[in-house]
Amino acid sequence: MEGIYGIWLRDITKFFRDKARLFGSFTMPILFLLIFGGGLSGTMESMMGQMTGADGDFNYVEFVFPGIVAMTLLMTSIFSSLSIIEDKDFGYMKEILVSPVSRVSIAIGKMLGAATVACIQGIILFMLIPFLGLTYDFVSLLLVLPFMFLFACALSGLGLLIASVIRSTQGFQMIVQILVMPMIFLSGALFPINNMPAWMHTIVMLNPVTYGVDVMKKIMIDVDSLSPEVVEAMGLNLEIFGRLITIPEQILFIAVFAVVLVLLATVSFRRTNA
Amino acid sequence: MNPIISVRGLRKNYKKTEAVKGIDFDVEEGEIFGFLGPNGAGKSTTINMICTMINPTSGSITINGYDVASQKARVRESIGIIFQENTLDEKLTAYENLMLHCRFYRVPKSERQRRIEEVLEIVDLQAEIKQRVDTFSGGMKRRLEIARGLLHYPKVLFLDEPTVGLDPQTRAHLWEYILRLKEEQGITMFLTTHYLDEAEISSRVAIMDAGSIIALDTPDALKRQLGGDMIELATEDNALAQQEITKQSTPESMTEHEGTLFIRTDDSNRFISQLLPTLTPAVTSLNIRRPTLNDVFLSFTGRSISATKGDG
Repeated sequence: MEGIYGIWLRDITKFFRDKARLFGSFTMPILFLLIFGGGLSGTMESMMGQMTGADGDFNYVEFVFPGIVAMTLLMTSIFSSLSIIEDKDFGYMKEILVSPVSRVSIAIGKMLGAATVACIQGIILFMLIPFLGLTYDFVSLLLVLPFMFLFACALSGLGLLIASVIRSTQGFQMIVQILVMPMIFLSGALFPINNMPAWMHTIVMLNPVTYGVDVMKKIMIDVDSLSPEVVEAMGLNLEIFGRLITIPEQILFIAVFAVVLVLLATVSFRRTNA
Repeated sequence: MNPIISVRGLRKNYKKTEAVKGIDFDVEEGEIFGFLGPNGAGKSTTINMICTMINPTSGSITINGYDVASQKARVRESIGIIFQENTLDEKLTAYENLMLHCRFYRVPKSERQRRIEEVLEIVDLQAEIKQRVDTFSGGMKRRLEIARGLLHYPKVLFLDEPTVGLDPQTRAHLWEYILRLKEEQGITMFLTTHYLDEAEISSRVAIMDAGSIIALDTPDALKRQLGGDMIELATEDNALAQQEITKQSTPESMTEHEGTLFIRTDDSNRFISQLLPTLTPAVTSLNIRRPTLNDVFLSFTGRSISATKGDG
């Protein structure tokens, strides 16, 4: 436990010490909110209004905000896992690997560190809610936090696994380009996943981010107050094999995903002869 | 004395090459064990196996009574390692680096503050406790690493090229710290170095070459094994001098290098008093010395260690 705490504490300390990274972490999500929230909302809302016929009921900013929080979680979790490559490059990984800290503790410590950093960024975004004219229920924001942490753990686990097989920072950037971007765009984070070609829909359903985004939206958006047409238009009736998926099922799926990835990352540490 | 490290039939094969070919040795408690060898001799592989970093193909290693294969965590608690390269987190302060180490090694909470101050005092870094490591000089970083390696009171301290890249003055200082550690704390040291004069402080020296240990003894015994003294002789006509020397005596070995004859002989007194005056060419310089570890290394491996600089 002490080992997990030490590894976690180190990454958190370094996150707050790195001024450039701290500042950069504020700017990117805000930029996305401006572009997607401000720039796209008019177009999206008029398109949705035509589709559903229920004009004015569809608030795109309300729809996209949880998506952008999820996207921030994804980016930050994966990028924070990059620290493991730095640790190898700068030799610190050796100090950890020759210590009595178990390999699974190293993986868990790293995962929790990246997930914590990601959640801090998510919470920073919450502070923008009043300025965006959004009215999420305060209780729903509190409820979504534990899920955000679980989701971030799963994504950090994925980052760790990538980091453990990639040797260089450049290689990592490439993986991010070919993996992270599609994971965001094909998840329903930024636009509803309706009327897609079948092959694309299959990818969406295989993408774990889809379920994370869906749960966050269902918790944060007051779905019951919306007309059924709007809920459908938002793509919130996620089905698999023609059956509606429930929130507990999705949470279970994310949790299993997180555990499996941490175990895989542990195995890769065991192989490492740093 | 009991062996603190016991290595039996240790072997490591990589796909086609045998890096370590079944070696046996013991390290006694409280000694400084020098581990030497040219580049690619299997030194690093051996150390990595002892430090639980890689698994042997076969053979067994016991450290402090714990089996390296089955009791890795116990072994890791028993050893401290000063790596050749810097493994500090330079973005953190000296204190933070040491505190993390305490957590990794489960040093009791009530002990941490005291031990951190204690090890910093040993390496003379008390004043820098709150400074970030990236403001430290190379020598200070090394000292901090040694301090960190001592925090969990290891039984054995591994020093892998501890002075590489340091200036001579810092090197000398570092050895003072290391020797004081041995005397005051009685810690066993497992040392690798390319500076053979530094290896002289070892209680015993093992020389590894091509995956096997080819010599293992005290530095004095190894030098005695070479026999006699080294005579460095330069004359106005070295070729003629060589002829005359071989005519009258049979030195252990005689080589010429950059205008100087290196003669190893069992009886340097007779050589100087009887043979030298009879030489026809005039002697331009003469030096008699005991064989050094470098001569030992050269005679065992056929190579000078300075020519093999780098990671072995």
